Amino acid sequence: MTGEPLLSVLDLVVRFDTPQGEVHAVNGVSLDVGAGETVGLVGESGSGKSVTSLAVMGLLPSPAGRVASGRILFDGKDVIGLPERDLRKLRGKDISMVFQDPMSSLNPVITIGEQVTEILRAHEQIGKADARTRAADLLRQVGIPNAEEQLDRFPHQFSGGMRQRVMIAMALALHPRLLIADEPTTALDVTIQAQVLELLVALTRDLGTALLLISHDLGIMARVAQRIAVMYAGFVMETASTTELFADPRHPYTVGLLNSVPAIDDRGKELRPIEGAPPDLEDAPVGCPFAPRCAWRVEACWTTMPPLQPVAGGRGGTGIDHAAACHNPVTAEEVRGAAPLRPGFVPAPPPSGATAAAASEEPL
Amino acid sequence: MMEEAAVSAAAAPPRAASGLRGVWAFVRASWLNALAVAIVSIVVLLALVGPLLLGSKANTADFADILRGPSSAHWMGTDNVGRDLFARVVAGARISLASAALIVLLAAPFGCALGILAGTIGGWVDEVLMRLTDLFFAFPAFVLAAAIAATLGPSLQHTIIAVAIVYWPWYARLARSQVLTLREREFVLAARVSGSSTLGIVARHMVRNVLPIVAIQMSADAGNAILSISALSFLGLGAQPPTPEWGTMMAGAQDYLQTAWWFLTFPGLTLTFTVLGFNLLGDGLRDWIDPRLRGVLRGGRV
Repeated sequence: MTGEPLLSVLDLVVRFDTPQGEVHAVNGVSLDVGAGETVGLVGESGSGKSVTSLAVMGLLPSPAGRVASGRILFDGKDVIGLPERDLRKLRGKDISMVFQDPMSSLNPVITIGEQVTEILRAHEQIGKADARTRAADLLRQVGIPNAEEQLDRFPHQFSGGMRQRVMIAMALALHPRLLIADEPTTALDVTIQAQVLELLVALTRDLGTALLLISHDLGIMARVAQRIAVMYAGFVMETASTTELFADPRHPYTVGLLNSVPAIDDRGKELRPIEGAPPDLEDAPVGCPFAPRCAWRVEACWTTMPPLQPVAGGRGGTGIDHAAACHNPVTAEEVRGAAPLRPGFVPAPPPSGATAAAASEEPL
Repeated sequence: MMEEAAVSAAAAPPRAASGLRGVWAFVRASWLNALAVAIVSIVVLLALVGPLLLGSKANTADFADILRGPSSAHWMGTDNVGRDLFARVVAGARISLASAALIVLLAAPFGCALGILAGTIGGWVDEVLMRLTDLFFAFPAFVLAAAIAATLGPSLQHTIIAVAIVYWPWYARLARSQVLTLREREFVLAARVSGSSTLGIVARHMVRNVLPIVAIQMSADAGNAILSISALSFLGLGAQPPTPEWGTMMAGAQDYLQTAWWFLTFPGLTLTFTVLGFNLLGDGLRDWIDPRLRGVLRGGRV
């Protein structure tokens, strides 16, 4: 990546105020997306992927959600604290978004045509007939047959895949510079997923639109993303180019994720799930949130969260842009064994002062 | 994947059928729907063309024909000053329907506007508006309407205003509750992501999704409104004699119950069937569009 990144998230902290207390949704995420780049954001549910993307759009649910600290630079300008009017100009025109469920992201009582033209009319002075022509073109672009006729139909007359195509057409209507796709294929039939993903990638490539792809599916990431950031409990644990991340993961959580994905040529090999459950985000994070589930943990893991540090490019030599937040990174041999192989190494027990809750989450 | 459960009318796929085909589909869905459509059509038709055909008969006294029973000349008999009851009942239909339409058309837009406002803005605006509606819900609707009508002074116009004042909070509540659920729907977020303004979202997404539910409520309320107007008129707070209003007529007929049964019976029966028709229509529409609205919308009230 050269020069200024298009989107730069710096130390973003997002909190939600709920009746049950403060939820620590995002705890200091840093993330860069270069112009035209495809970046993957991986993590399990509740790891803060979607919240991070909503924060970028300035659409955290108000009044509960707020950016507690950090900066979000789009094209060098901080979008946090921008007045609603300026944010509105940004949304749809410069930054766009595709959601997980195309069933619920289209209004069931409004025709497809009107919904596609909505984004055009929000940003441009455009006549009804012109908007309609443009909308038909957009639908054609995403591979919807008989586009002209489809404009007058309602969402329920479309299949799930078609609806997601419509959403993509809308999101890319104004040639935004960044598209955030939040689990864009998760709600679709498996047979359709590949098609929609391909379309998304092809269109963003043609338009030079950067793509921030949010997913828990490492298979999708491997296919599409140039770079991947792995999130866990509101932190970025590791970030690297896709090839590097798969070839040389350093963070125990990344290793755990990779080991829990079934591979087609590894039939009969046992899957190794990550033991335990993610932490309760209502508790303020102390130390590394992955420590209770981690076999590599050392004493420091219980007390301090390590910063995201560049990985010394030893193996493979492509350590550029590879960073991990870990006190005790995994070695190449250990990746294959999926366990610490150093003689005499035992995971550090929770400190005596630690809460009983942390202790009980110890892997069995 | 296609069987997305309809959570509200907003989620229900809009019926493709429109106009007469839609009416026909509705009628065929249940015999109660057929009955409702039949009654409402007859009453509406009577109200529209009846007075044209019967001319001024409704208010023409004929002292030679006082308190005659039903006959071929006077289908519903005559009243205590010899006016043709059928002509008066038909003229009453026009008054009742017009009053009901006025009430609903005053209460619904006003209530919906405030409800959408409360639901969209939230905060103290929501709090103030909803406590205001609570104030109305604290009293039985009819008692409150009677009190307001009595304060304004007896007349049909004042009764209409009184009933409309009592009805708007229901629409405010209804619209607000719909907006609150719509607000969390993903298509609203999607519209925001597209850069739509709050006003644009309200106009395009909220109003259109609230509309069908409000329309159902209006049809059910028409029956209630007719009943309220007649009841208030019966008590002397509404239309004054010699206006051929059903309630007013029944009030005048009280003294003749033992000597001329038709005098009270026919206006009463007409009123009953009309209210029944509108209530069935409201219930039928509600179940037809989405049975799950049973808890959200209320049926007969007064």
